[in-house]
Amino acid sequence: MTKTLSTTPNFSPDGQEGPNGIIDRVYSFLRRIPSGLLWVIVAIWSLPTMGIFVNSFRNRDSQRNSAWWKGLWPGNAGDYTFDNYDQIINARTPIGDSLLNSMAIAIPATIIPIAIAAFAAYGFAWIDFRGRKPLFIATVSLLAIPLQVALIPLLQLFSGGAKLTLPLLDKTITLIPDFGLVGSTTAVWLTHTGFAMPFAIFLLHNYISSLPKDVFEAARIDGAAHFTIFYKLVLPLSIPVLAAFAIFQFLWTWNDFLIANTLVSGNTDQEPTTLLIAKLAGDFGRNENILPAAAFIQSFVPLVVFFSLQKYFVRGLLAGSVKG
Amino acid sequence: MDDTAVTADDVINEITDEPGGDVEVRGLRWFARRAVWVALALFAIFLLITQAKARSTLVTVVIAVAASAGLWIGANLLFNQVRERWTEFSVIAFGIVGALIGIVLHGNQVTVGSGDGILNWILGPIAGGVALAALGFVLSTVDDASKRLTIGIGVGLAIGVAIGALIRSEFYPGLDPAATAIATALGVAVGGVISFLRKRPPLGGILTGAAIGWILGAWGGADFGDGSIVTSIIAAAVPAALIGARIGQTSNPGYVGRAKIDVSARAYIFIGPALLFIFAMLVVPAIRTAYLSVLDRDSEDFVQLDNYRSIFTDRTSFDSANWTDMFTSRLSIIGVVLLGIALVVGIIMKQRTGRAVEVGNPTVGPLVAGFFFVAFGIFTALRGTIINNLWWVVTVTFSATALGLAVAVLADNRKGERFAKSLIFMPMAISLVGASIIWRFVYQARETSKEQTGVLNALWTSLGKLSIGSGLPTLIGAAILGVITLASAAALARALTRQNWGGAALPGIAMLLFGWFFLKYTKILGEGLGGFQTEAVLNDDGEQVGTVATGAAETVLFVQEGPFNNFFLMVIFIWIQTGFAMVILSAAIKAVPTELIEAASMDGATTSQIFWRVTLPQIATTIGVVVTTLIVGVMKVFDIVKVITNGQFDTQVLANDMFQKAFNDGDSGRGAALAILIFLSVLPVMIFNIRKMQKEA
Repeated sequence: MTKTLSTTPNFSPDGQEGPNGIIDRVYSFLRRIPSGLLWVIVAIWSLPTMGIFVNSFRNRDSQRNSAWWKGLWPGNAGDYTFDNYDQIINARTPIGDSLLNSMAIAIPATIIPIAIAAFAAYGFAWIDFRGRKPLFIATVSLLAIPLQVALIPLLQLFSGGAKLTLPLLDKTITLIPDFGLVGSTTAVWLTHTGFAMPFAIFLLHNYISSLPKDVFEAARIDGAAHFTIFYKLVLPLSIPVLAAFAIFQFLWTWNDFLIANTLVSGNTDQEPTTLLIAKLAGDFGRNENILPAAAFIQSFVPLVVFFSLQKYFVRGLLAGSVKG
Repeated sequence: MDDTAVTADDVINEITDEPGGDVEVRGLRWFARRAVWVALALFAIFLLITQAKARSTLVTVVIAVAASAGLWIGANLLFNQVRERWTEFSVIAFGIVGALIGIVLHGNQVTVGSGDGILNWILGPIAGGVALAALGFVLSTVDDASKRLTIGIGVGLAIGVAIGALIRSEFYPGLDPAATAIATALGVAVGGVISFLRKRPPLGGILTGAAIGWILGAWGGADFGDGSIVTSIIAAAVPAALIGARIGQTSNPGYVGRAKIDVSARAYIFIGPALLFIFAMLVVPAIRTAYLSVLDRDSEDFVQLDNYRSIFTDRTSFDSANWTDMFTSRLSIIGVVLLGIALVVGIIMKQRTGRAVEVGNPTVGPLVAGFFFVAFGIFTALRGTIINNLWWVVTVTFSATALGLAVAVLADNRKGERFAKSLIFMPMAISLVGASIIWRFVYQARETSKEQTGVLNALWTSLGKLSIGSGLPTLIGAAILGVITLASAAALARALTRQNWGGAALPGIAMLLFGWFFLKYTKILGEGLGGFQTEAVLNDDGEQVGTVATGAAETVLFVQEGPFNNFFLMVIFIWIQTGFAMVILSAAIKAVPTELIEAASMDGATTSQIFWRVTLPQIATTIGVVVTTLIVGVMKVFDIVKVITNGQFDTQVLANDMFQKAFNDGDSGRGAALAILIFLSVLPVMIFNIRKMQKEA
């Protein structure tokens, strides 16, 4: 819009001659606001994060009694301290432990779905079997299924195993024994793996099915089995989309609160960072001063991943929604 | 790479990389990236050395990955043998099945000789494996049909007798002839029907069905420990012989048959693990949730649809007590007025252009605004969890999409596009919990006598103080507001003199808004902006004779004051999702062919006409995708409400209600019903997606 305006400042959108007087000048000034508006929006979008970042370095009293932007004024440099970080790192339930728990969830929950979904995506794309299309559509239609719908039975599964009572015969068979997984990070990443499947298959299938057909045909003629084609051809070619999904899944599992809260809440040893800071926020008054520091530590890992690999993240986002 | 893939990549590069490519800058970034990776690797090594938990995580991951990869590769290698080495394949496949039977029987300590100790434990699997591997070897080398049948039945019988004899005495089944006969007959019928449906010879299905039926009837229908070794042998040998016959009556497949086995088995090897996870973690639990939702709170009694009924009759989830407010609230009135304006403008546009409503047509502005005001009027009058969720969906979906589109358009081809987009996109990387905490500080309200630490209240109270104060700052504030009001009035006048009725709507609204603000600020209307904290003025006897303003503006309790606290929670989600909408819409805008835009501008279209009439229709499907994705995301919003209010102050939403009912109150019936309700509300979107995929496929 304004690109045209800046090259021909007196252009008026009605296609009529200008300028003729103060009204037109005011109007053309108003029309130029968008370029400033963008930066206003950007500023508004960054301010909240900025505030918490600044506050995380200010001591308890100044956080409480003066606004964070006052901390940026030159006279208040003395307020700065690392005490908050020190406190959260050396607390009774230190954030280091919960960071490790977050990793114990996010790393397996990222690696394992990638492998499984890549197999399935290849199968759906390049192996011809009966019922392929309906099965694929059924799988991918689960993309939008809300996780809530599976949570209650999953908690029951992890806390007591799965039993099936045979109708009419009055015999109960243990399908899955109780492995005592409730309250452990293992339960969380297993759940994440299942929930990630539809999206992962969808994303990888989009990419793998668009690989050139000739390559596969040539390989098949040479007598290569599906297994060989998969790991010698498809895997190396799919690195970009695998990376895109990996970032997606990593951010999602690292930031997840619902599943962790359902499955490990109460077992302090295994709680990830999101649970820790939600708890800190729960007793607001007492831990008010370390909350910004904790939130910042929790966000640090995803922010690093995000800013260093943004390109892949965007790629995944686009492949996941635009093509669908 | 085909053409479409290349263009998609180009689009992505355009968004994410600097155009052109500055070598020096890229070199720096290259080093920075490497440095980050090295630092991360060193940090990981440090963790592994110092933290036991890190080591155990690594061990878990390695074991899980290695075991699953081993299984998967093993299965692939096994089926690699099908075509060329049938005998080897048969031996290994039969051996594995035998070992599995051995594991199940021996592992559950059903057979003699099982017990503690690794040697005892592996005896069963080895015996089973060897026995069946032998069967596999013999069958794969014999081609004569009658011999195969004899061998199959004979070996099956022998294995069955052996199993039956080796069962521990406390598991000897007391044979119930009636149950066995019924189950076997049922099995035969089901097997026959399945074979018929699959268009196969019925004998195979009947044999398999009979075997399964016999096992269910003889073992499942019996009391363990009542029988003797004879009943045990009968119960085990008959199905084993049946299955032996089933295997024996087939012939060794030729090359074509083996290739078929290879392909169909391969399909399930590739897809099986994923399907297993989907079934175990999504499908089966979802079905069970539906089942739980018609049971009572302890999942004991069937209560029909009581859980659903109670959701809709409960005051907290649907409260229509103040429904008349819908018509009398200020919001609704403004909304109706705007809709009236839209109607008038629409009639005028109909006369001028033949279309009452069209994208980019001036009717749209007042129409959308009016719709919004009316919607807010309704949502503030009707209260409850369900209404809150609807309010979330309407507000967040619309605002995030509109803002995302606005930013995408504003930033398009502008200096600093990449930087601006990165910052707007950044909240996507922050957890919802983190975002909630960030915004809690923004919304913070303190006593009016103290300094405000939340941005919004600080702004609000200082505006209020300015408004009731005097001196230069107050004058400057008044001047700024006045100028803005005058400017909108000027724009309005310009549009009116040019008879651009539609263009007049926006400045008109702005003028009214800022004018009202100006009047409030300058105390021409009311007591000044922001309200006051008043103090009672008492006479000597302690009676109140009046009030006096102490001068401090009142804070807004963003989180506690209903019903608009809901809106302030939605703002957080909008803050996050705008980046998502922006990235996708921005890519779509960049993908609009430049020829189209050039052609339009050659024909004399203005930039705004080009946007509304060329660009927007081109990206309409993408907008649809963004909207559906957002609806699904918003319907299950949980973290923000949980962390900030936990559903207090009338901000409950379905997902948080479900969590509280199911996991805090232990009412699994009600929780499951709420979960199913969330599912039903996104079902239309799912169906829409399936339809679209079917069309594309």
